[in-house]
Amino acid sequence: MLINTVILFLRDALPIFVLVVYLYVHLPANKLWLLSCFIAGAIFSLIYISQIHVIGQWFDGKGIELSLWLCQSFVYLLALVLAYELSRNQPSNNHLAYWVAGGMVSLTLVSKGSNFIVYFEGYLNQHNVLLTMLLGTFLGLGICLSLAVLMYLAAQWLKQRLGPWSTWLLIHIYVTGQLVNTLPLLVQVDFIDASDTAWNSQNVVSNEFEFGHLFNVLFGYQAAPSIVQVLVYVFALLVPLIIFYWLKQNLAFHSGNKQ
Amino acid sequence: MAGVAEYHVRLKDHLFFPSQVTIPANQKVKLIIHNQDNTPEEFDSFSLNREKVIFANNKASIFIGPLQPGEYDFFGEYNPNTARGTVIVEHQKQKSPDVN
Repeated sequence: MLINTVILFLRDALPIFVLVVYLYVHLPANKLWLLSCFIAGAIFSLIYISQIHVIGQWFDGKGIELSLWLCQSFVYLLALVLAYELSRNQPSNNHLAYWVAGGMVSLTLVSKGSNFIVYFEGYLNQHNVLLTMLLGTFLGLGICLSLAVLMYLAAQWLKQRLGPWSTWLLIHIYVTGQLVNTLPLLVQVDFIDASDTAWNSQNVVSNEFEFGHLFNVLFGYQAAPSIVQVLVYVFALLVPLIIFYWLKQNLAFHSGNKQ
Repeated sequence: MAGVAEYHVRLKDHLFFPSQVTIPANQKVKLIIHNQDNTPEEFDSFSLNREKVIFANNKASIFIGPLQPGEYDFFGEYNPNTARGTVIVEHQKQKSPDVN
């Protein structure tokens, strides 16, 4: 139970920690949004879990998978809104960026945090598990916090050297990975047909081990991804980069012309 | 549309029965897991790329394949020491328990 709880934290809490750290570094000054979105995310998670049996029946039993995929898709789209805000370079419109960041954290809390609620709700009633679960929780939280501090320092260093686009790039890589991670959910309920594997690197870095977990959180590493996952990953990663690079160049050209 | 073969797995006392499921190669099949425990479990497999929560005293379906011949491990994420099993994919024609 101890190890299970720690692994659960690595799988489901670490993505929340990493996203919060990236957004915390990316957005300037005001951090009140963070507390608000944690409260909102916790409330949405509880509502989601209380209705999960109903949601599970939607779309011929595909409801949970579709809702989790939708959550990650929205998170991905919200990250693009952050980039759009950044490309417009209007500090007066920072409120929108905070709302967007809040939405991203809340939706991630719903999709990842609901797993915790199921786990703790199911096993806390069992005899003799409270102590080991608490110990596992502290250990898991400790590992997540340590990694979060490292990611914070790395993101800060990048932002100071390369500017806010570097932290947005970290966020973009993260959300693309999380989006691609949800595709197998659609395959397992036969919503899309994409089982052909592109490669298998289980022997190099397995998703079962610590580095596999970490890489999966940071950039969506899969030891045995499907061809569709690889294609979606490349498309979802590169197309916004090209568009926003073009937008940035265009804006720089126009502002240069005005002066 | 061709029918999809169904394979049933039971989860009882945090153990999968049967713990080995043999399915035909290059075919999509439906795995139905009946959780007969009073606690939830998450069916998880890195090699199959699948994860699904199965609530207490409930069942859940997962489509797997088409797969190449080989062995694909699965486990219960909440009880990985006991709830373990393997999907064995073979070329030989299998007798399907149920076909839709």
